[in-house]
Amino acid sequence: MQGNTACAEGALAAGCRFFAGYPITPSTEVAEHMALKLPKAKGVFVQMEDEIASIAAVVGAAWTGARAMTATSGPGFSLMMENIGYAAMTETPCVIVNIQRGGPSTGQPTLAAQGDMLQCRFGSHGDYSIIALSPASVQEMFELTVKAFQLSEKYRVPVFLMGDEIIGHMRERLTIPDSVEVIPRKKLETGSLPFKAGDDDIPGFPTFGEGYGVHVTGLTHDERGYPAATNPPAHERLVTRLVRKVESARKEMADYRVTNPDAEQVFISYGAPTRTVHQVLHDRPKDGIGHLQLRVVWPFPEFSLAEFPDAKAFLVPEMNLGQISREIERHTDVPVLPVPKIGGDLHTPAELGKALEGSR
Amino acid sequence: MSFRDWYRVDRLPTIYCVGCGNGTVINCTLHAVDSLGWKWEDTVFVSGIGCSSRAPGYIKTDSLHTTHGRPLAFATGIKLAKPGLHVVVFTGDGDLAAIGGNHFIHACRRNVDMTVICMNNWIYGMTGGQGSPTTPRGALTTTTPYGSGEGVFDLAALAVAAGANHVARWTSYHVKELTRAIQTGLETPGFSLVEVLTQCPTAYGRRNKLREVSDTVEYLKDHAILLQKYNRLTAEGKPVPEDMFTVGEFVRRNRPAMGVPP
Amino acid sequence: MKLVIDSDRCKGCNLCMLVCPYRIFKEGKEQNERGIILPELDRPERCPNCRLQKLYGRTLCGLCQMICPDQAIRWENEKENEPQKVVIEF
Repeated sequence: MQGNTACAEGALAAGCRFFAGYPITPSTEVAEHMALKLPKAKGVFVQMEDEIASIAAVVGAAWTGARAMTATSGPGFSLMMENIGYAAMTETPCVIVNIQRGGPSTGQPTLAAQGDMLQCRFGSHGDYSIIALSPASVQEMFELTVKAFQLSEKYRVPVFLMGDEIIGHMRERLTIPDSVEVIPRKKLETGSLPFKAGDDDIPGFPTFGEGYGVHVTGLTHDERGYPAATNPPAHERLVTRLVRKVESARKEMADYRVTNPDAEQVFISYGAPTRTVHQVLHDRPKDGIGHLQLRVVWPFPEFSLAEFPDAKAFLVPEMNLGQISREIERHTDVPVLPVPKIGGDLHTPAELGKALEGSR
Repeated sequence: MSFRDWYRVDRLPTIYCVGCGNGTVINCTLHAVDSLGWKWEDTVFVSGIGCSSRAPGYIKTDSLHTTHGRPLAFATGIKLAKPGLHVVVFTGDGDLAAIGGNHFIHACRRNVDMTVICMNNWIYGMTGGQGSPTTPRGALTTTTPYGSGEGVFDLAALAVAAGANHVARWTSYHVKELTRAIQTGLETPGFSLVEVLTQCPTAYGRRNKLREVSDTVEYLKDHAILLQKYNRLTAEGKPVPEDMFTVGEFVRRNRPAMGVPP
Repeated sequence: MKLVIDSDRCKGCNLCMLVCPYRIFKEGKEQNERGIILPELDRPERCPNCRLQKLYGRTLCGLCQMICPDQAIRWENEKENEPQKVVIEF
């Protein structure tokens, strides 16, 4: 099955019943598969007039209780940023799939890149925090899409599936489980304030049409949901809670794979370059090279670096000019060597081998 | 139940200026909604950004106050995901026609079952009085200090052309007709646009020699001409003064609609 | 019934005065403690809603209530033994 198709299948398995999107290479297959399958699953598919309308419709549908998703790539992703900030501010659960392509601007529509990793975290204005997942195989496209829905429903936050054109368009075999755990949203208790949260910073969800009478606004709001834009303490309380909600739970939601934890030279990868690292480890099993594969990239799991106490160098192959490597640098004293490669071709084992020589 | 029961009484009085037409339009909308027997638990108000879009914050129902220009897209998502909900959109002239122009065209084309109340006050009121696509030629605003040199957008005409099922235009002076037009819009399946010309004494009126609240309202009363009368006069070849605007129901038809509850 | 203008809500725009077909309202003279000059009632017994809402069981006219941007107008029952003036107009 194709990666994009697997992503759509994962969404359907996780209970997604609303998709609004706009065609953009290389993510169009996700939309096409959803257009085919959703009506049969009693869901709704609508092709909107642009990406801004797509994410808007997804947020609107999410408020009626539906699990909603959209899929896009670089240029569409940039368009969606304002409404992504809106989803973060109003704590709307939704999943946004970005099958990354060469950028900036129109760039390379049919070739892969990983250039939006910092954008998914910091793309919209203001302070907020989101969750981003990075699949490295068709199986992971399925599994991580399911996980994206589970995380977005639990934490009431937009979750990004940061794929790329290689993983999106490749075909591999995958195993589809018989059933998948569907976590329902936490409901708001009647009578309690819609935006007041307990210790986990996650308020219950007041679905539209069930008598909650909630006013949802992108303006800074107080616990009742009413605008409080000229109220500095209310703004501080709200925004710090939005960030804390995700950041304080990063250990719980962390998902990474460790190989050879006692290695001195460690590759840290996410997405497509993971496959090259696997090849290098397979070709040189006795060289004691370590590998950390990040599946949840944001919120960044800095504690995963401690899994390699003897590391003398972290090598970070990325299909961009060094984005996650900057985040890694912040969290460790171990020298970080970015191995950037842009242009659409995946890193070759030889290139990674050369990087290893350079790091000795 | 009266329309006054739909208000969030703890939030009144509103932030609107003295004599703002928006308050009147909210009254008329709630009266129309209430008279149809809708329940507040099944109704959702969606709005964009601007003075018009602060309205849902004063109404008891579930409401979504979205980003500038996009309420129609959010409302499409809500209506298609849960067609059993009644969706009413409050928007303004800039929100609908400027930044939201694309969503406006496509919502009309799709004929999604919702009612859009556009409070057209010829200006961007909330941000201090900048020009909008409906600012009359020669009018003074903060971004057209030498008089507006751009053509005026006819919102109702666009909605008719793009395929909306019901389009009407009234003013905030004609409260009874407005309420009736909104009622028709709520009942008509498919996209319904009710454009309301409202007074903005603070931002528009003050800069354009209409300082008193009653000045703009009198202007609206005197310059409104019923559509049927306008058609009759033009058919007979009689001249109609340039600055008159047509009011009334422009179209009511039965094109296939999306999101109509089964 | 009698017409009551809510002094917490009225902002003094006088739109009610503009639309009333029976000319019930007239310009007020004094500011209240919020600094707003509320309109005053001029022989409000001529208002058809005040006179006839009980009889017909629904709001008659009601233009002032509909146009008021601040929902400051409402009709209330008079208290027991409160004098009511009714004027029959031809």
